[in-house]
Amino acid sequence: MKRIALLAGLAAVVAAVLVAPGPAQPTGKTTAATPAATPKLPPLPANIKERKRWIVGVKCDAPPFGYIDVRGQNAGFDVEIARWFSRYAFGRDTRVSFACAPTPAREPLLTTDRADLVISTFTYTADRDTRIDFSRAYYKATGRLLVKNDSPIQSLADLKGKRVATTSGSIYDRWMKKCFPDTSVTVTDSFTNALLAFNQGRADALMWDDTVLVGVAAADRSSKLTNDTFLALPYGIGIKQGNTALKRWVDSRLELMRKKDSFLQILKNNVPARFVNGFSKNILRPSNTFGYAPANAPSADTVCP
Amino acid sequence: MLVATYDLWGFVSENWQELLDGLIRTLKVSAFAIVGASAIGIVLGAARAHRVPVVSQFTAVYVEIIRNTPILVQIFMIFYGLPQLGVTLEPFTVAWISVMIWGGAFNSENFRAGFEAVPYRYREAALALGFGPRSTFLNVTFPIGTRIALPSSINTYISIVKNTSLMYVIGYSELTTTALNISNLTLETPEALTVLAIAYLALVWSLSWVIRLLESHLALPERS
Amino acid sequence: MPDWVQPVVDYILTEGLPNTLRVAAVAVTGSAIVGLLFGTLLTIRFLPLRALLRLYIEVFRGLPILVTVFIVYFGLPTISPSLRFEALTATAIALILWGSAQVAEATRGAVQSIPREQHEAASALGFGWVGRHAFVILPQAVRRLLPPFVSLLANIIQNTTLAQVIGGLELLEAAERQNERLTAPPPIGLGEIHSFAIFGFVAAVFFVLSFPLTRLAAYLEKRLVV
Repeated sequence: MKRIALLAGLAAVVAAVLVAPGPAQPTGKTTAATPAATPKLPPLPANIKERKRWIVGVKCDAPPFGYIDVRGQNAGFDVEIARWFSRYAFGRDTRVSFACAPTPAREPLLTTDRADLVISTFTYTADRDTRIDFSRAYYKATGRLLVKNDSPIQSLADLKGKRVATTSGSIYDRWMKKCFPDTSVTVTDSFTNALLAFNQGRADALMWDDTVLVGVAAADRSSKLTNDTFLALPYGIGIKQGNTALKRWVDSRLELMRKKDSFLQILKNNVPARFVNGFSKNILRPSNTFGYAPANAPSADTVCP
Repeated sequence: MLVATYDLWGFVSENWQELLDGLIRTLKVSAFAIVGASAIGIVLGAARAHRVPVVSQFTAVYVEIIRNTPILVQIFMIFYGLPQLGVTLEPFTVAWISVMIWGGAFNSENFRAGFEAVPYRYREAALALGFGPRSTFLNVTFPIGTRIALPSSINTYISIVKNTSLMYVIGYSELTTTALNISNLTLETPEALTVLAIAYLALVWSLSWVIRLLESHLALPERS
Repeated sequence: MPDWVQPVVDYILTEGLPNTLRVAAVAVTGSAIVGLLFGTLLTIRFLPLRALLRLYIEVFRGLPILVTVFIVYFGLPTISPSLRFEALTATAIALILWGSAQVAEATRGAVQSIPREQHEAASALGFGWVGRHAFVILPQAVRRLLPPFVSLLANIIQNTTLAQVIGGLELLEAAERQNERLTAPPPIGLGEIHSFAIFGFVAAVFFVLSFPLTRLAAYLEKRLVV
């Protein structure tokens, strides 16, 4: 009796799905073997399909997005997105090889076909867009400023004549040099070194993504974040220029993940529980979409407050 | 990046001020470090050559540690380590101190070899003439020994100049850091590298040439 | 020993150390082969060749190795796409360029220090230029080259750390990655900075690798002089 009801229900659902126009069906191996009559999801490009493996460039020293975990494996927000892509393409999350992509290596990995995708805290800029393609935006980090509790710096306006630490070549580095000529910028090659410089009094303030700084401020009772938020620049997935088939595939799966709220789970895996709520505006969610600035708008790191 | 977009003149004319500042900082760090390394080399080299107790052992340990660990790690330890002990130095000071400590270790070996190579008969003669140990050193061993050590200490000084490029890792804006920071922002990497190559070769070659001139003047008669 | 130590040490030694040794091995072998060849060729009385080799030696001894690494890693690809090398390979190539210049200069000195009589005796016995050098001169020169060569090996091992600056996974970079992880707050890391312990460990590993070599070089030096 129950079985008949179940089968009838299933048939009804299948019928409804076949008849109703609407969002496309996932094409993974886990769905029922009914071809969707609705627009199919873009197919996986042939070369990746043949290889049966993704090659993705990620950061290896930038928690929580890309880092090496305690067992020596790649882990992080960006890494998990790659694993989701592996599931979508091949049904398992192990069909990915990771290449470490520190900042200067991100574009070359794509232009020389050393990687299919680069998911590496890659901020979209119109300038970069002239050399590579970006997927739709998938994460929106905001810049924050960390200062000591008793610091005379209360906001960005107080930075005149002070020293700010950040990493070399980052958006913050460029923006500070352009918009705060009276502030001396202490650049280091890694975030931990910038944090060390700040802790040791070599810099009066530390400028970095909220995703990392919020955790640092919470753990360190002697420092706090100012109220400024700036440079809310979205990350995109880097794709070789001209590879429209891959871009379509990536964008469609990102949309799918957004609808299923998959990014929330990824966030929970990589960020302390008490901050998840605060960062939920940074990720794509069914109720939260964001994109890049219009193509003709000036690049945000050249716009001064 | 296409070679077609290579624009050396553009890069230099836009950034020459920053690059010049970087070059000057390289020279300043090198100058301080070389002077310091000479002092360290002579003092510790003499101590070891004369088997001064305590100082000799300390020097031996110092030399072995510096020679057998990467200079990158040494720089890092000095830059981030000292503040933990309460001594926070600004990047310029860390830059020349770390290269000086590195160069001083090698230099103390250079001068030790130099002092030990002074033929014993000269020192014997001085002692016979009534010079005390200190005067013997100042008037005989030191002048001759430092000239013997000249070629190897010159090599160390040139290495010091080259090693200032490693200040990249503490963000001190000497020439290499400046050029690379500019190229990070503007992506004109080939131009930046050309400038770096030309600048360092010019620097090192002219230093070598000047010093070889000095060497031919200062060389000992029986060795020229 | 705190909990965090073991995985960090494991990662550094199993991921970083083999690469450091590999790069060093390739660099030393390459430097030896190219350096011995160039150094011997330098003694030929043919000016254009000597000038060219002299230029090579002065350029790669004059440039800071870091700049050479950047030129190989970032500069070469702009000349031709097929010249794009991975971080560790680029470091090895840069070390070979520098190391071979050092070896060439030392070889020239060693070969020129072999007394004329050896050349004359070898010629008298019927050896041509190549045979003379291969069977008589070089074997003697190589003995004199042993101490500086062992020092070069120690030097190259330590200079492999330059790969870290371009992101190559050798000892120092492995340590950096673990350091970054530990700095991040839980669940990822510890939220603590342990830079000194970690980099002190790296220094200790290099010391252990390098100290026997420098001792060996000193010993060989003494034996030669006698």
